[in-house]
Amino acid sequence: MNIKIVHLYPDLLNLYGDRGNIQCMVMRCRWRGIDAQVKEYRLGDRVDFSDADIVLLGGGSDREQQIVCTKLQSIRSDFSAYVEDGGTVIAVCGGYQLLGHYYDTPDGRMEGLSLVDLYTQQGSPRLISNVILKNEEFPYEIVGFENHGGRTFIGDNKPFGTVAFGFGNNGEDGKEGVMYKNVIGTYLHGPLLPKNPHVCDRLIGTALERRFGSSQLEPLDDEDEKRANRYIVERFVKEEKQASDR
Amino acid sequence: MDIRRMTAVNTAKAASWASRLLGKGGTTFSGKLAMKMDPSVLKDLAAQVRKKIFVTCGTNGKTTTNNLLCSMLEAQGYKVVCNRMGANMLEGVAAAFAGAADLAGNLDADYACIEIDEASAVKVFRYFKPDYMIITNLFRDQLDRYGEIDIIMDVLEKAIRMAPDMKIIVNGDDSLAAFMAQETGNPYVCYGISEKVVSGQENSREVREGRFCKNCGALLEYDFYHYSQMGVYHCPSCSFKRPAIQYDASNVSFGNGLSFDVSGRHLEANYRGFYNIYNILAVWSAVSEAQLPTDRFNEVLGSYKPQFGRNEVFRLGESRVLLNLAKNPAGFNQNIAAVLEDKTPKDLIIVINDNAQDGKDISWLWDVDFDSLSHESIRSITVSGIRALDMHLRLKYVGIKSTTSPDTASAIRQKLSEGCKNLYVLVNYTALYDAHKLLQEMEKKYEH
Repeated sequence: MNIKIVHLYPDLLNLYGDRGNIQCMVMRCRWRGIDAQVKEYRLGDRVDFSDADIVLLGGGSDREQQIVCTKLQSIRSDFSAYVEDGGTVIAVCGGYQLLGHYYDTPDGRMEGLSLVDLYTQQGSPRLISNVILKNEEFPYEIVGFENHGGRTFIGDNKPFGTVAFGFGNNGEDGKEGVMYKNVIGTYLHGPLLPKNPHVCDRLIGTALERRFGSSQLEPLDDEDEKRANRYIVERFVKEEKQASDR
Repeated sequence: MDIRRMTAVNTAKAASWASRLLGKGGTTFSGKLAMKMDPSVLKDLAAQVRKKIFVTCGTNGKTTTNNLLCSMLEAQGYKVVCNRMGANMLEGVAAAFAGAADLAGNLDADYACIEIDEASAVKVFRYFKPDYMIITNLFRDQLDRYGEIDIIMDVLEKAIRMAPDMKIIVNGDDSLAAFMAQETGNPYVCYGISEKVVSGQENSREVREGRFCKNCGALLEYDFYHYSQMGVYHCPSCSFKRPAIQYDASNVSFGNGLSFDVSGRHLEANYRGFYNIYNILAVWSAVSEAQLPTDRFNEVLGSYKPQFGRNEVFRLGESRVLLNLAKNPAGFNQNIAAVLEDKTPKDLIIVINDNAQDGKDISWLWDVDFDSLSHESIRSITVSGIRALDMHLRLKYVGIKSTTSPDTASAIRQKLSEGCKNLYVLVNYTALYDAHKLLQEMEKKYEH
């Protein structure tokens, strides 16, 4: 079995250790005897979605995001068809914002891909924190780190999780990220996947399902991953409790 | 005599002395106290510097560059104010000046060598305008605290514009730093390395900053890279290019010690790490620009004792322990390269904390090329610190085994008793102080 991971614009969108997400997917495939190939596309390349199984869109600085955004419209219709067909996407930080209709900043509007019904507005201050999310679809918490000026609003879409610690999409509605078909958009980096092997396996699973019609994943020894995840949960739940006790 | 300043200076001295007695780094506290008692203490003291004020900014290499420059000036018999310990925010700078003043609140100094945190320069320059600023490089560092590298560039540029006569001495191989220096309109000179000396960089997966022209947004073209974004570059679509290099290192060799020629002189030092070529070049440029004598340059390089945690060597019985600070991807990659320049068997301990001064966001660990640590000379890796579990995971995903040890002291002790007598300890910022203290105490015990 083999799958193809498409990494969009890694030279621009690489701010928060996004390589770790790629590395995590590749290794968790390899440990199961699945061959995962990574195809990187640069700005101006024609992106071939036909043999893509997982697409990763990472985060960049506002300036670099602006550069990407002006070129992104050319892949919009292919990307949208891929998403509607159940293609797996993981979009982080800036990449998450680009999934939506637009990102409004004082300097003007950055048009997004409109793949998911959401939008973002710049706010102040930046929301910077460790994050813990809960989502019943996953066996334990999702942990990560957020650092974003944008406030994202996802309407009636399903969030990636509810915020147990941290700010989330906008610091107001207790939601973080978005899940739409097989797309996950989130502000969580850290990077996201190594400490959240359940999320990584979900991405691999939906990709295999679409490509081969089966998503039975051989379990791996995730003790190290779970310990690192657990550490964050316990530490910040404790911090929260101490703060509320004061 | 200015009573207010005198009181401020003496209070700062007392506070600094007391906190040293208590074993705490109280530099920031004493500086804060001095500025509170006399808000113009920094301005007044800086104005008493008889000749020139140098400041050093940039992500990596500040402390080494600044302290080395200070040593060069002292070797010529000058009196120099310097924040040697690297306390580089406004309060730390104030503390350095207060600490150098006499009990009457007056300063007897020919020069000042001050390293300044990039984001603090705008605050410091309200009190004095330096004559020279060295800019070492600009890399991603502590994104959670400072935001993106563009934000750092903006705030540093703002500071530079506050001192339009200040001459900038900039690393011309760094497209970001060089662009910024040109943008400000200040007078500037560049140092750099125009010959290719590092092989294999073409295939490196290293994260490179500023790949895109800051002027027009096009992808910069490189003849070659030294490391990260350091190299010889030009923009294919506008006029931006690597500026003319006034202090150009040639015949560069590094590995076991380093040497190069610049301005017709041969310089050599017993340091490891390619990045130290830039640190030395920066000092050479500063000394030359200020038209100071360079006759004792090699001698000072030879006797220079690095600030703690910068390639600092400890002898513990038969074991040699090298402690080095590695706090961001560019620095870490350079440190790993320096570790691997030593071909003999070694054990490695990596300590990662996530306190405010380290950056609470440790995702940068995934931008470091740890892959290269799967090297036959590295016999074991132990990970420690607050985020040991993350570091352990980071290595797992490049197929490298490591042992987690919650406490750095016991990790070091264990390797001393069972390791191969050649131990490297790489730590990030807040882990440095404790590791240094620990190793120093252990060294003393071995001596007795």
